[in-house]
Amino acid sequence: MKGNWNRIVGIDLGSGKTHDISLPEAVWRDLIGGSGVGAWLFMQHTAPKTDPLAPENPLMILAGPIVGTTLAGSSRFAVCARSPLTGIWGEGTCGGNFGPMLKSCGVDGLYITGRAASPVYLFVEDGKVSIRDAADLWGKDTYETGDMLAKRHDEKRARVICIGPAGENLIKYANINNDKGDVIGRTGMGAVMGSKKVKAVVVLGTQKVQVADQAAYDAIRKDVLEKIKNSVPADSLHSMGTDASMDLGMMTGDIPIRNWSVGEDFDLSAALGGPTMTEKFLVKPAACLYCTIACKRVMKVADGPFAMEEGPGPEYETCCSLGTGLHNKNAESVLKANELANKLGMDTITLGSTLAFAMDCFEKGIINEKDTGGVRLRFGEVDGVFKMMEMIARRDGFGDVLAEGSRAAAARIGKGASDLAVHVKGLELPYHDPHGWHGMGLAYMMSTRGACHLQHLVHPIEQGMVFWDGVGLKENYDGQKSEGKGVLVRIAEDLGVPCNAMVLCNFVAWTLYPPDFPAILKAVTGFDYDIQSYLGCGARIWLLKRGLSNLMGVTSRDDVLPPKILAPYKEGAAAGSVPDQDVLRKEYYKARGIEADGKPSKAALDAAGGLDEMAKRLYG
Amino acid sequence: MSIPFPSEEWIKAYKDAINTNPAYKTAGADWTHGVVALVAKAKPPALPQDVGIWLDLAKGVCYDAKLVTVEEAAKAPFCITGEYDRWKQVIRKELDPIKGMMQGKLKLKGDLPTIVRAVKASQELVNSAGMVDTAFMDE
Repeated sequence: MKGNWNRIVGIDLGSGKTHDISLPEAVWRDLIGGSGVGAWLFMQHTAPKTDPLAPENPLMILAGPIVGTTLAGSSRFAVCARSPLTGIWGEGTCGGNFGPMLKSCGVDGLYITGRAASPVYLFVEDGKVSIRDAADLWGKDTYETGDMLAKRHDEKRARVICIGPAGENLIKYANINNDKGDVIGRTGMGAVMGSKKVKAVVVLGTQKVQVADQAAYDAIRKDVLEKIKNSVPADSLHSMGTDASMDLGMMTGDIPIRNWSVGEDFDLSAALGGPTMTEKFLVKPAACLYCTIACKRVMKVADGPFAMEEGPGPEYETCCSLGTGLHNKNAESVLKANELANKLGMDTITLGSTLAFAMDCFEKGIINEKDTGGVRLRFGEVDGVFKMMEMIARRDGFGDVLAEGSRAAAARIGKGASDLAVHVKGLELPYHDPHGWHGMGLAYMMSTRGACHLQHLVHPIEQGMVFWDGVGLKENYDGQKSEGKGVLVRIAEDLGVPCNAMVLCNFVAWTLYPPDFPAILKAVTGFDYDIQSYLGCGARIWLLKRGLSNLMGVTSRDDVLPPKILAPYKEGAAAGSVPDQDVLRKEYYKARGIEADGKPSKAALDAAGGLDEMAKRLYG
Repeated sequence: MSIPFPSEEWIKAYKDAINTNPAYKTAGADWTHGVVALVAKAKPPALPQDVGIWLDLAKGVCYDAKLVTVEEAAKAPFCITGEYDRWKQVIRKELDPIKGMMQGKLKLKGDLPTIVRAVKASQELVNSAGMVDTAFMDE
């Protein structure tokens, strides 16, 4: 086997000892790497209902087989654990340049358990791990921490991931930051890191990842670059960043507005969309290692109350979460709030969604200024946003309520607030609207980590940004029809889940064709993948993660959309359109092989292969 | 009576359709970026050779529309090229032109952010084409 080193370093923070973990080759072949391998490790070593913030919950930082090669889109890595926000399987992936340097250390990842007695950081140098004192770093924001550690170890080469004050204070949606603008955002992995008193991980390595078939790999690498060059979505991402989709999205009913209450507002997309943001604030595009798309934005706000030094600009999701979702047309404030969220170390999707929920509660009189400590939380007003962000990160006053995420905050507030919280299984919805795209609604319902837009390829398929024949997909889908989406979502998951495991960037995946994915894996690892075995890996990994979440308590009652999504809009392209969640669930359960109680059927587990242990756990 | 696409007569009717479409007048009010050319690739015998359609658009009005050569069309700041059958799908609203461009079924030459910003106007141009009683000569 090539691509992987077959070496994961186990680190017990309690004892300070490390040990090497190697896995059977079949695990790498069948589960690929990244979160696929993470789920397997969790199943082997951890009681499913372990408290997410307990020392026993492992924090797994994992690369995939293609990470460390020079393929465009291969610079990502995953972080997995049981999520403190949702209570089920949690994970996130992130670009930048940490992943390749982690692989250059001669390791595939780190498996961190225990809790340090005082703040520490981990220094991994060519495979050797040392646990170092982080007393001087604790309390600092992510930008300062990253800069200090890079300077301390090797300013040019050392790569750092770290948490900010939010992670230290166990904010349930604390993120892990890499290079200021790249984050492991979702499901609160930063809180798990904070619970272990790990402020940062620094990697510095010199080893080169070997591929199995160099000639085949070189040809694929060249082909990928050519496909990116000829791709309109890639051109669009390069010229306008991920926010390129906002103007189009407003036309198709894809943009959530005012806590998912309004169907259309072209003033918002004119103020916050990719063309405007590019024209007003772009300094230059930026890229992850080896990627020619360069979708990241370096931006600056020259002056005014929201002046911002040159630095990472907001992605599409953040333009929505801190913009359209809050009915905030002030673009400068979105940039500044994004920077503050990055520095404090909070997931902007859950943060924005929780703030929008609180504003909705405030405007409906469910909460008032007495509850919020005098902070006015009104749609379109940004002062309260900045004040509350600081309060959340420090668990100060009402910030402590919102620090738990919208589901838990709603339960604490009561008075019908739960109807205003927009989440699936505790994870707030990303900003693609199921009113306009019912397939995306189903993907949110069935994602193994709660509402997720990244672990499948529903978005480009349903919205027609790609057309992939030969794998059972149709050429055109009507976004506002629920019928036929069960099969679409299953196929889109089986295509996307392995991308997530290897760990390939979704945007690069959009420029490719399904047979390219197994060809990449085959050239790198030497395993004899074809499209069928590749899709089989997708199904297997999905079922494994679903099984874990079932063991953590998920049932069919959790596969539902929130009330806001089931209420129609009066205006816009999706006016009157509501996903039919019964039709969606029924079709999907049949396509995936899920029993009425929400567990994967024994037959589905047997057919996937390699899931005997999970079948035993679920069925005895 | 149906008018053959993409004849001189069709283009004249298309210009009239654009200028009598109030939705285009509103959506295209901010368009000041110049000519948009559409190139249809040959499909003999219905379309013996590649042709261009020149649309001089400004502030919600189509000032000129004419049949041009492909070379002439390429000089426009925005030029969208597609197979005859793709344009047929667009006119019949079976293919969204933005999706078509994303999937590579239609090729765009020109500044993408400007087109993205004008997406509503683009949609109304397509709606206007749908208002012309069109005959496709391969049917």
